Amino acid sequence: MSGFSLLEFIQQIINGLTLGSIYALIAIGYTMVYGIIGMINFAHGEIYMIGAYVGLLAITALGLFGVDSISAILLATLAISILVTGSYGWTVERLAYRPLRGSPRLVPLISAIGVSIFLQNYVQLGQGARDVSMQPVLTGGWRFGPDDGFQVYLSYMQVLIAAITVAFMTGLTLFIARSRMGRACRACSEDRAMANLLGIDTDRVIALTFVLGATLAAVAGVLVSMYYGLVNPFIGFIAGLKAFTAAVLGGIGSIPGAMLGGVVLGLAESFASAYLQTEYKDVVAFALLILVLLIRPTGLLGRPDVEKV
Amino acid sequence: MNTFSRHALSAAVGAVILGLGGLAHADTIKIAVAGPITGPVAQYGDMQMSGAKMAVEQINAKGGVNGKKLEAVLIDDVCEPKQAVAIANQIVNQKIKYVVGHLCSGSTQPASKLYEEEGILMITPAATNPAITQQGYKMVFRTIGTDDQQGPTAGKYIAEKIKPKKLAIIHDKQQYGEGIAKEVDKTVKAAGITPVLFEGVNKGQTDFSALITKMKKDGVDFVYYGGYHPELGLLLRQSREQGFDAKYMGPEGVGNKDISAIAGPASEGLLVTLPADFSTDPANAGLVKAFQDKKQDPTGPFVMPAYAAVQIVADAIKGAKTEDAVKLADYIRKNSFQTPIGKVAFKNNGDLKEFEFVIFTWHADATKTPVK
Repeated sequence: MSGFSLLEFIQQIINGLTLGSIYALIAIGYTMVYGIIGMINFAHGEIYMIGAYVGLLAITALGLFGVDSISAILLATLAISILVTGSYGWTVERLAYRPLRGSPRLVPLISAIGVSIFLQNYVQLGQGARDVSMQPVLTGGWRFGPDDGFQVYLSYMQVLIAAITVAFMTGLTLFIARSRMGRACRACSEDRAMANLLGIDTDRVIALTFVLGATLAAVAGVLVSMYYGLVNPFIGFIAGLKAFTAAVLGGIGSIPGAMLGGVVLGLAESFASAYLQTEYKDVVAFALLILVLLIRPTGLLGRPDVEKV
Repeated sequence: MNTFSRHALSAAVGAVILGLGGLAHADTIKIAVAGPITGPVAQYGDMQMSGAKMAVEQINAKGGVNGKKLEAVLIDDVCEPKQAVAIANQIVNQKIKYVVGHLCSGSTQPASKLYEEEGILMITPAATNPAITQQGYKMVFRTIGTDDQQGPTAGKYIAEKIKPKKLAIIHDKQQYGEGIAKEVDKTVKAAGITPVLFEGVNKGQTDFSALITKMKKDGVDFVYYGGYHPELGLLLRQSREQGFDAKYMGPEGVGNKDISAIAGPASEGLLVTLPADFSTDPANAGLVKAFQDKKQDPTGPFVMPAYAAVQIVADAIKGAKTEDAVKLADYIRKNSFQTPIGKVAFKNNGDLKEFEFVIFTWHADATKTPVK
């Protein structure tokens, strides 16, 4: 194996950031729900899978209708996927979690696992269990480096993924920090019972949380369909597991933590693949998680949470 | 497969699971056809099912076996080892004595243990991992070659014709993929080529960019991939995107038209080792037409082996004049059969005495041409 190359290192950072952006988008859904109702929504990976399916179907359908402008396809697909996936997020909360509010913590958790299995089978029956594939919509990119040696390649798609991720994250952060609903979210996260006493409709806030999480999962799903072009009903499981790891790594309950966790996880996988063996990428990712939790049990940016009894 | 037949199929599978299959016909000879009807590699299951069903149909049209009709019971194992064991138990409980399957090596091996213990005759038309016939079992046969034939065919071709400067071998850490990757590794090493990289990726992994960057930096010019098409398709596509232009080669697990659906133009020029295309054999012209009349594709690598497997069961029942599976296994081991994959005879361990793998060049439009 030849020595260290700076250009390769840069390429691996690009690879890791792209992967990390997707993890981060999904991780937000876990972290927001946990922050507000203290529950791990294990069906979130499946919500992302639905987002990816809707994205792929929408892109294919738009292609059939002769829409060929990339930005039109992108915007329309994002809108459709967010709408559909968001309503799935809302429905799941309404049907599977709201009736269980106030029951012991384990009960909604079991319900979440049930929803996850249900959605996987539901999509499998509706869309078939096969891989569905699609050719890339956006191709091309920039190359840097010597003509006869290793060239760094930055594709338009990778830039798009990073840009959209940053845009939605910024939007979410502003929404939570500035808007009325955002303030209600933060209040619920601090103390749900108190917020309720002060006149905040907590059920509405919780529903909104699920819809927001599903929205970002839909964005991740659309980007994944466009970037990899392959979806099947089972992609939610691995993606959900990785995103959940990212959320815990960054500090579950913290939104900037989920973003950081996603990026750190993406980079860790990329570097493990590059400088060790590809076999070890998950080992490294999870070893990192254990290490962080040993040193900082609340995750990188998590707040210690002692008052909740 | 259209929606209707998919529903019909799931209804059929449902009926089997509910045990209704057993009530239908008491006087038929039931053959379980076990393979992936759903899941990421269901394409191969289609090949197996269509070949087996055609054989059952044609044998029945000629009057069946000893006056009885054959009945194919299609069972889905999703190519999952756990699922395979569960359905093997169902087969045992339904008292079916013959199995054509399974398809993936990983699911065939655990299921074969049950069949051996329960005295059920199993002929796999697709599982190529050598270990399956190295267990000392008496009830296990296959109508396809093995990876220790396929691996060396690929390895020799790489060493003698390609002569890559830097070879990488990648696999999916599954029994089939890693097994064949190791065979290729062994063969090229014996020819004096040491791969610069031998690594496993995850089944279901979608992002290979880090691995591709590493191969590109190391100047790899040829990649052998042991595994199935979903991962290789993405690997090809992402390689092309990153401007990594090494040539790729894979085993028969990557050779179906979905690889082109996933990888698009990046699948052009991929090398694949496959069983010889039996549909071009003039002796099979009538059979090929029968498939075409039903709008089924006879060219898939497992179609004819599955046909042959069913036919061998039927011929053995006729020849040995018994339906006792253990006696049939003996009969099959001692006799030879004229089938669409040629005249077949078995070694003591259940492998074919002769089987040939051929190297094909894959094209972006999902067609293939044999390499001269």
